[in-house]
Amino acid sequence: MRLADDLSCAELVELVTEYVDGALDPCDRERFEQHLVVCDGCANHLEQMRSTIEVVGRLEEADVGDEMAAELLVAFRGWKAS
Amino acid sequence: MIAYKFLGEGGTARFSRFTWPLPGAGRYGEWVDAHPSVCATGIHACRTADLPYWIDAQLWRIELDGDIVEGTRKVVAERGRLVDRVEAWDTDAKHGFGRACATRADALAGSLPALRAYADDAAVFAEAGNPAVAGFVAARLAELTGGVESYESERDAQVRWLAENLALTA
Repeated sequence: MRLADDLSCAELVELVTEYVDGALDPCDRERFEQHLVVCDGCANHLEQMRSTIEVVGRLEEADVGDEMAAELLVAFRGWKAS
Repeated sequence: MIAYKFLGEGGTARFSRFTWPLPGAGRYGEWVDAHPSVCATGIHACRTADLPYWIDAQLWRIELDGDIVEGTRKVVAERGRLVDRVEAWDTDAKHGFGRACATRADALAGSLPALRAYADDAAVFAEAGNPAVAGFVAARLAELTGGVESYESERDAQVRWLAENLALTA
């Protein structure tokens, strides 16, 4: 990919969710995939995201106990505040 | 239309993770229709000129059918089936392609310190059996020395190497 079309790793990470959701336009999708061809680190990141979605996506609300739900809420609140 | 398709080990597509039905003795692989489980936008494949951008472990000839859209770096079809594997794309060819890229990169870099690192990287990736990155680095180095035209020239040289050494015609 030419320099002007190249995605940085940081840019790719920002776009991973849209890529997985199929929300990137064809041009950005191609830039994204061309970066993956030559960047094992980003390819691994994408695989980790997909694996996480596959595992977490099977969870129902009832699968998360009260104690875990409370811990998650605390973590999310702290994450937003930081 | 006959085109080419790079796949990972086991015949699995790099981006969709779809495992293609492989040809058997005396028969082509089964037709695969574009579907969200394969790729929502279509069956992606390469003309010879597209190959350096999508290098992967295995190279296959693929027959495309239905509506076929020719893009800048790929072709996209409604459906496709694998015809046969390009056996010439083996370990030796991967090293040979990478070394050819590294050799051109070395010549372009000359003794300029700012460019030597690129040429050295191309050589390292070539020897490591990573032709995709060796080709990418060589093209990037060419662009740094001569702009977009040099980038395209280096990619053209890569296409010629693949066409000649793998006896590709599509």
